[in-house]
Amino acid sequence: MSISEHKRGFFAEEGRGGKRPLLTVSELSAYYGELRALFDVEFQVMPGEVLAIIGANGAGKSTLLKSMVGMMNRGKTAHTTGSIDMRGRRLDQLTTEKIVDAGVTMVPEGRRLFPRLTVEENLLTGAYLPRCREASEDKLVEMLDMFPRFAERRTQIVSQMSGGEQQMVAVARALMSDPQVVLFDELSLGLAPAIVDDIYEKVQQINQAGVTCIVIEQDMKRALRVSNHVLVMLEGAIVLEGDPKDLNEDQVSSAYFGSEIGRASA
Amino acid sequence: MTAEAFNEELYWSVIDILNGLLTGTIIGGYYAMISIGLAMTFGVMRLVNLAHGDFIIVGAYLAVVLLNFLPISPFFTLTIVIPIMFCLGYVLQRVLLNHVSVQAMERKGLSANYGLMAPILVTFGLGIFISHVLLGIFESDARQLKNSLAFSAIRLSEDLNISLLRFIFFGLGIVILILLHLYLTRTHAGRAIRAASDDAEVSPLMGINTAHVYGLALGISMAIAGAAGVMIGMIRTFQPFDGPQFLLIAFGTVIIGGLGSIVGSLVGGILLGITQVLAGTYFGPSAQLVGGYMLILFVLAFKPQGLFSK
Repeated sequence: MSISEHKRGFFAEEGRGGKRPLLTVSELSAYYGELRALFDVEFQVMPGEVLAIIGANGAGKSTLLKSMVGMMNRGKTAHTTGSIDMRGRRLDQLTTEKIVDAGVTMVPEGRRLFPRLTVEENLLTGAYLPRCREASEDKLVEMLDMFPRFAERRTQIVSQMSGGEQQMVAVARALMSDPQVVLFDELSLGLAPAIVDDIYEKVQQINQAGVTCIVIEQDMKRALRVSNHVLVMLEGAIVLEGDPKDLNEDQVSSAYFGSEIGRASA
Repeated sequence: MTAEAFNEELYWSVIDILNGLLTGTIIGGYYAMISIGLAMTFGVMRLVNLAHGDFIIVGAYLAVVLLNFLPISPFFTLTIVIPIMFCLGYVLQRVLLNHVSVQAMERKGLSANYGLMAPILVTFGLGIFISHVLLGIFESDARQLKNSLAFSAIRLSEDLNISLLRFIFFGLGIVILILLHLYLTRTHAGRAIRAASDDAEVSPLMGINTAHVYGLALGISMAIAGAAGVMIGMIRTFQPFDGPQFLLIAFGTVIIGGLGSIVGSLVGGILLGITQVLAGTYFGPSAQLVGGYMLILFVLAFKPQGLFSK
């Protein structure tokens, strides 16, 4: 990439739809040791949108989200190159806790709740940042309103809850830090379809409250339905991107599987 | 046997058992103090801190130094020893142990096994270093923190009494354990320590700086170890190389009670204390330690995760 190209992304006033992007990812590559997992990924995230990332297993979706919250900065074990810019602030140079403080957080794959803490403690841990502490009790009440199922279970140890309930706790915990952007990694993994519907309803609700959402979703149809913008990844790169209304399913599945197989199946 | 002789015998066996239970419980409170720091650093950082016993002795010697300058009761040295030990622990974790942790080894591209082994070796070396520094400064004379209560006892009946000092320490130990429990469950920092202990990889997503949280954990561990050291120094004499015997008690208590549970440490300590005292009463003083180790082996054989681990 030339410097001028880089700067265009960096200082872009206008992105998709004439709006100023909230996040600009430029030339992002990620490595596990010597193994390269992302190849010069570039995209923009507009404020208030739901961005869906789809792709087969191993396409680099999770690695991309991890890179965006600094979880790939692990010395010789894993690292990234390129830039992730949030309105002039370089997130790629921050540690995970600073990125969360800047307003970007993630609901990790497999929920990853703190198993020996209660529901309430898991949520309050989400408000650990000094800027969140004062309002943490109010925020807790807000979350119990939004997820009424927790209200009577707030003192329960989370490892005793069902998968769907745990996923809800994980979503609520992420919201406790009052984020501008939430990355959802494989929200529906291992959950019954009815529960997944519930969870996506919450995602819509969160998005309507002004939070920008980025979701990784295995179910292609669902991804196209819930999002304003779709990225299709294949082998560590973005191979197709666009408004779900403008993309037809054949286009997406051929990108998803790589063109040859996609054409064959289509 | 006459009825009178039988009654006499019954009386003494009841006294023996009561004495064993009481003294064992009292000792258990102080065993809990000795071990809670070890349980905490293992629970939070998977750190097997072989210098833990030496930290306890450092606490006792800090009190010796303070008493040289300040004409105060050894009890009040706690107010200075505890914060000093906390700071030492925090700094030690951040400048030394965080650099040999599992995460640090991972950053260097090494296997996690190095991260499990390196801190054990580092704390082993640290323990040897500390005891030799203490030897250099204080020489090998046995010391004691002199106090007016050393020989006082609470008389419960003609034949049943407990050491006042040990009783005070039992109470103080309970207070410290309750404070620790409240800290870990009611404060943001305390919850962060428990969160990092459950899942260190994800806790940064909560805004938690694990390096700082680990510093707090070792700080608290050393603060309590220091408090235990002052108590030990008031009850008995100590020397620079006494650390390992307290490390053994701590390991025993933690094995019995289970890791990562404050109640477990207390009950583990009490069970160990009672077993030791009763073994000593019925089988002679030499059976005290054997009795304790038998209990540890028994727990390891039948409930290796400890009686109270979740």
